[in-house]
Amino acid sequence: MAGTDAAEDIIVCRHVHKWFGEFHALKGVTTSVRRGEKVVILGPSGSGKSTFIRSINRLEEHQKGDIIVDGVRLTNDVRDIDAIRREVGMVFQSFNLFPHLTVIDNITLAPIKVRKWPRAQAEEAARALLERVGIPEQAEKYPSELSGGQQQRVAIARALAMQPEIMLFDEPTSALDPEMIKEVLDVMRELATSGMTMLIVTHEVGFAREVADRVLMFDEGVIIEDAPPDDFFNNPQHERAKAFLSQILA
Amino acid sequence: MSPEPYDRDLTLPPPRLSVGAAGWVRANLFGTWYDGVLTLVCAAALALALWFGLVWVFRDADWGVVATLGGNFAIGQYNTEAACPGKNCFWRPQVVLLLVTMFLGMSWGLTKSGIARTVAILVASAAAAFAFLPYSMEKMGMDVRVLLLANAPALGAGWAIARHTSMSVRWFIILGVAAFLLSLGLLRGLPGMQPVPTIYWGGLMLNLLLAVGGIAASLPIGVALALGRRSRLPVVKVMCVTFIEVFRGVPLITLLFMSQVLVPLAFPEDFPLNSVARAGIIITLFSAAYMAENVRGGLQALDPGQMEAARALGLAAWQTTLLISLPQALRNVIPAIAGQFIGLFKDTSLVYIIGMLDVVEIGRAFILGNPEYLENARELFVFLALVFWIFTYGMSYVSRRIEYHLGVGKR
Ligand SMILES: Nc1ncnc2c1ncn2[C@@H]1O[C@H](COP(=O)(O)OP(=O)(O)O)[C@@H](O)[C@H]1O
Ligand SMILES: [Mg+2]
Repeated sequence: MAGTDAAEDIIVCRHVHKWFGEFHALKGVTTSVRRGEKVVILGPSGSGKSTFIRSINRLEEHQKGDIIVDGVRLTNDVRDIDAIRREVGMVFQSFNLFPHLTVIDNITLAPIKVRKWPRAQAEEAARALLERVGIPEQAEKYPSELSGGQQQRVAIARALAMQPEIMLFDEPTSALDPEMIKEVLDVMRELATSGMTMLIVTHEVGFAREVADRVLMFDEGVIIEDAPPDDFFNNPQHERAKAFLSQILA
Repeated sequence: MSPEPYDRDLTLPPPRLSVGAAGWVRANLFGTWYDGVLTLVCAAALALALWFGLVWVFRDADWGVVATLGGNFAIGQYNTEAACPGKNCFWRPQVVLLLVTMFLGMSWGLTKSGIARTVAILVASAAAAFAFLPYSMEKMGMDVRVLLLANAPALGAGWAIARHTSMSVRWFIILGVAAFLLSLGLLRGLPGMQPVPTIYWGGLMLNLLLAVGGIAASLPIGVALALGRRSRLPVVKVMCVTFIEVFRGVPLITLLFMSQVLVPLAFPEDFPLNSVARAGIIITLFSAAYMAENVRGGLQALDPGQMEAARALGLAAWQTTLLISLPQALRNVIPAIAGQFIGLFKDTSLVYIIGMLDVVEIGRAFILGNPEYLENARELFVFLALVFWIFTYGMSYVSRRIEYHLGVGKR
């Protein structure tokens, strides 16, 4: 099922609509993401950024249009959804580590239970990932014993342990104290250079300029800008984009 | 002039009267003049109560009634001529006790935890100590004493088995259920043995059998009901809600009574549902209904982000429930569960309503049947209160230690 198409669009969204009850949260989103591409998603609060990336691994169910991830069209077929979720890692604003499990158990849980790896193999991989995110010494601790930045790095390691094709980040640094933001962004930078496909909702403009191949700007449930970061930040087309940029760059 | 450098020695000790025992007494007991008066009045009342209590316990009370009932507290009429004609059946409950001790030893060996060790050693040594009760050899034979003493090696054996056979938790549970069923069989009489009708089962043994069986069965049933109540399938949901509301809405005593008058109506006359089984089932279902609501409360308090994270990792819905939701939900409601189990244990004495002689009813029946002991009812019931308190305090202690062990409220 891996990308057969030469264009290598790993995610394709066509006219995606999503309602929460009466509220129209996504109003026809059409875009696609190439394999290995880094896409940063910006937009004011409530514009549908989270709803959009959560639709990609079906934490939210869209009601109209198509979402095709790695060649699989997202429907209600549970097997398809579980298959997609295995290929798509997600990092949340509030980390969402499992508080009753140690760091190492947080990371090995899915490989053991979903991928059916033997424990020894899963632990070896987990320790390598902890090394990669810079906290190998914290393996036996519980999440509550770590700082916010460390917790978010564990969350990244946990998502990577499933060896996903795509990583989704929903404001990964918004809950962090300033001095911890850098340590998380550094991990994400390193991940970006490794060729991972990444969709990142963030307000970190410096990071976006540096890492993004493309910037999408959401406003009221639609994408109003889709441009490389230099074009977007220096020369936004849409009035709302200009207003938004003047706010966050102020 | 340069500013004065920061002086470490400026760190002062706290004022003398705000810390330590003296500070605590002053702040909490004599904070204001009426606090002081209240403290003095209460202290005087406490001292008087304690004084009269001790005088009664050690001088005026006649504990002979407790000694007279002796083994009846433990097993009721189990070993009477009517229950076990022509034989001595006292060894059967004793072997069951040995199994219990062995299991406590196993749980110690398995978890290597201080809680299991404390409980196991306390139970085994209490059981062994009973071997030295100052009864005559006629009343309490050598066989009885030896079987009581055997609790010490039973503990060691259980511990060693768990330690040296890399036993898994799954096997421990399977063995536990098997041992429970074996115990029931042994008490009832295995093939080839003298059967002892369940109507003669009684005493603390009956309370504990019902409590242990009820606790062990109502936990999984309650969890299943809680999950069912949250199910998206309307049929499952309605069935669970109905079950929970019916069993929570009717007093246990009514349910027990109904089981006695209704079951014979609904089933053929020789339906093999004896009073112990009936009481056990009713107590279990009653407790499961409450358990379901406790667990549901725990599930509802969970952060939805937990389930999202699990689903995002590709865990299936049932895996998310089993590995993420339930462990956290159960951990957070340990105090409620412990309270419920304590209630269940105390409620087992309600089986007197269907004619069973539990430990309380044994005492009451004895007093009623022997008016010369009427004077001593006070001693008897104080003793029974103490027995219940020992068990319920033990449960409360274990639950607090488990909470501490799991870091409830901290992580
Ligand atoms: N579960 C939900 N139920 C109802 N409304 C929701 C829900 N989730 C999000 N919304 C609404 O949808 C809109 C978009 O939300 P979201 O995607 O979280 O915005 P963003 O991430 O851009 O801040 C908001 O107005 C929000 O209130
Ligand atoms: Mg959001």
